[in-house]
Amino acid sequence: MMWKTCSVRLMAIFTLLISSPLIADELSAFDKMSGQLNIAGGTAHIPVMKKAARNIMGHNPNIRITIAGGGSGVGVQQVANGLVDIGNTGRALKNKEMNLGLNSFAFAIDGVAVIIHPENPVNDLSQQQIIAIYQGKITNWQEVGGHDRQIHLFSRDEASGTRSVFSKKLLKGAPLAGNANIVPSNGAMKTAVSQDVAAIGYSSVGYIDEMVKAPTYNQIKPSQEACASGEYPVVRRLYMNTKGAPNGLTQAFIDYIYSKQGAQLIQASGYIALDAKP
Amino acid sequence: MHLFVITFSGGAKLIGATRMSRWIGHWGKLCSLLLISIMLILIGFIIFKGLPTLGLKLFFGDTDPLAAMMGQKPVWEGIWPACVGTLTVVLCAVSLAALPGIASGIWLASAAEKRAQKVFSLAVDILAGIPSILMGLFGFSLILVLRASFFPQANVSLLLAAFCLALLILPYIACATQNALSSLPKQLTVTGAALGMTQWQATYRLLLPQASPGIMSGLMLAIGRAAEDTAVIMLTGAVANAGLPGGLLQRFEALPFTIFYLSAQYQSQQELDMAFGAALVLLILTSIIFTLLAALLRRRNCNIFGSAKSLIKETMC
Amino acid sequence: MILVVISGLMLFAVFCFLIWFSLPVFLTETSLVFSLQWQPEQGHFGILAMVFGTLSLALISTSAAFVIALGLNSFCLLSRRRWLVVILRSLLKFMAAVPTVVYGLAALFLLLPLLRNGLQLGSGYSLFAAICMVILLILPVICVMLDNITTPLWQQYALGAQALGFSPEQTYMRVILPHCKVNICGAALLGFNRAIGDTMLPLMLAGNATQLPSGVFDAMRSLTAHIALVIATDQGSEVYNSLFAAGMILLMSSACICLLSRSLVGRN
Repeated sequence: MMWKTCSVRLMAIFTLLISSPLIADELSAFDKMSGQLNIAGGTAHIPVMKKAARNIMGHNPNIRITIAGGGSGVGVQQVANGLVDIGNTGRALKNKEMNLGLNSFAFAIDGVAVIIHPENPVNDLSQQQIIAIYQGKITNWQEVGGHDRQIHLFSRDEASGTRSVFSKKLLKGAPLAGNANIVPSNGAMKTAVSQDVAAIGYSSVGYIDEMVKAPTYNQIKPSQEACASGEYPVVRRLYMNTKGAPNGLTQAFIDYIYSKQGAQLIQASGYIALDAKP
Repeated sequence: MHLFVITFSGGAKLIGATRMSRWIGHWGKLCSLLLISIMLILIGFIIFKGLPTLGLKLFFGDTDPLAAMMGQKPVWEGIWPACVGTLTVVLCAVSLAALPGIASGIWLASAAEKRAQKVFSLAVDILAGIPSILMGLFGFSLILVLRASFFPQANVSLLLAAFCLALLILPYIACATQNALSSLPKQLTVTGAALGMTQWQATYRLLLPQASPGIMSGLMLAIGRAAEDTAVIMLTGAVANAGLPGGLLQRFEALPFTIFYLSAQYQSQQELDMAFGAALVLLILTSIIFTLLAALLRRRNCNIFGSAKSLIKETMC
Repeated sequence: MILVVISGLMLFAVFCFLIWFSLPVFLTETSLVFSLQWQPEQGHFGILAMVFGTLSLALISTSAAFVIALGLNSFCLLSRRRWLVVILRSLLKFMAAVPTVVYGLAALFLLLPLLRNGLQLGSGYSLFAAICMVILLILPVICVMLDNITTPLWQQYALGAQALGFSPEQTYMRVILPHCKVNICGAALLGFNRAIGDTMLPLMLAGNATQLPSGVFDAMRSLTAHIALVIATDQGSEVYNSLFAAGMILLMSSACICLLSRSLVGRN
């Protein structure tokens, strides 16, 4: 275990060392630019956006990038109204939303996985078990092989793309029990579950680390690799959306996300980078 | 004494009342003790958790403090932008609300048109009671309407947040002004009129200076309210990452929102510490305002007596 | 004068705006909005559970705060330890200045772990946690008003009542309280209004579950928290429209309470 983390760190340092000459190259697109870029929406995107913004603003202080969360609903709503330049969604646009004149840029693959407290002995949950738990039919951890504890349900707010993917692809449209606690972001989900031994929640795979535990789903471990190969079924793409064709700073930012360095940021955030649409 | 009462009035009802009365004494002691200890625990907890984090690192993260203060370098992992954002938005809100608020207060205190005043003061009262999130909702829909109609460039911004906060604190200022003016001795107006002042002159030269401590305390209360409100700015322009406020028409960071955001979704111990640090800073900020307010109120009491006395002296001379 | 007109117009604008936005919701989708079920994926958009949540939160916390406030008020008047009274009074005024997020933060890391691990009462996110903190929030409002009303009365009647042979406690219960019954109700209403309108505490502490709470240790969602959560959804959908219905209900109730308290005080 020690070895693993050590080697991961070493690798990270190496990649940094190797990529440092590249940084100047890919960031040079921002050299002559200034102004403000507003980003809002999906909370799964925030780590990637934050890292990118940090690099860009560190390179050229004349550029201001603001990042807000709020969920996929906010992303669509605000970009369609022109309140932000890039609206992030963790789901594909609905037909109704396509008509608003939005352009979608998928940049990463992400999975949605059930998470529990690290001290919870449950190691595997089947789809039926998860559906029964979220419908309120199974209420005790004992029924799925855990300790004798009441299950505390956590779910996401109505604007969440993670929730809509989870509801569609994992719950298969089964109605959610009313007593589920609602948290407003992926980060808040992880925090809430990590504090409560009897909690069950779901979040983006990129958010899973030692603070929470992801039990295997139908015996498949929800990992980046399993998501990429399609072995783990509950996956989605992460999108950036712009109103009309992007230009100027917005275009440069999107290009940066699709660049090699951008791909590293995506990787470091726990997602699998996608290439730009031809 | 008890015996006297009981024998005098007789009846079981009063015995019950006596018991009840004794009970309220104990209840009062219990409540006070509980309240004081609960508040000590809560505030102590915030101080205990927040104090160790106070320092340059809390405010500026890894950035060089001087460069960050001048706005040359963006601050990550620090609450400096949030502090500046909160100060700016509060200042803007108060400067927006102060004049209309004081003016409405003066108008309410002067006895001119009874009916219109009644309606207006009712409106002020209702506005004072409106939940703050509705103010945020109002601001948000206002922007959507503006965009659809006159100003396609309008956006949620510092100015909008300040405007909505101004609406929120306007009734406080109006009420404080009204109270301060109407608690002044009646002779003042009469004296003013006797000296041949117009009503406007009397208000401006006589009444307002006398009432200024009261109005100031109203302003302080308003500042405190604006500094702590989260619900309004959450819907009207506060974001998690923006750096120093770049202008009136841009998004900003604010302390209360930062606390809310970090406490719900901290990803590391360091971010949690930042939340407690920010909470302590906000608490210190509001308690400074509170202390100033208390000092002002104390001075007002002396002032009114002092000035009233000197005025009487003057009129007698 | 112009400034007065401006501020008057602004007040008017706020009312009109909210009413204008929420009217279509009420006219077209009353049956949808006024039901108990909230399951957006299945097409149920009822906000009655939230209305009930807000009411239970405000009612319970106001009545508890009211009883506590009476106790504190009696202590302020009756206690012989004047220094303690001075401390208590300034503490109450200070409490009015404490930001709600700070209360929320403290409760999140003190009260919730206690409920969750110490007392084994579910996940800790519950009506109870929100009630505890809302009590602290509205206590200063009620207490300061009570204090302002009863202190002059006390100075006026204490000696006379003592001469009649009342003990101080009896004076408080039998003379002072009945004398300002109406004003006390006004103070309670003010606290009630504040409890209805608070957003951050229910949002941070109550769990936001869209169910009817069956006990104080159940999670629930208040109307204010509903607005804060749902404003994020896309415009024009039924979910988004429920926001304005919630806003309208809040506006109406706070206006009604305001009218009620004014008429109460005015009659006196």
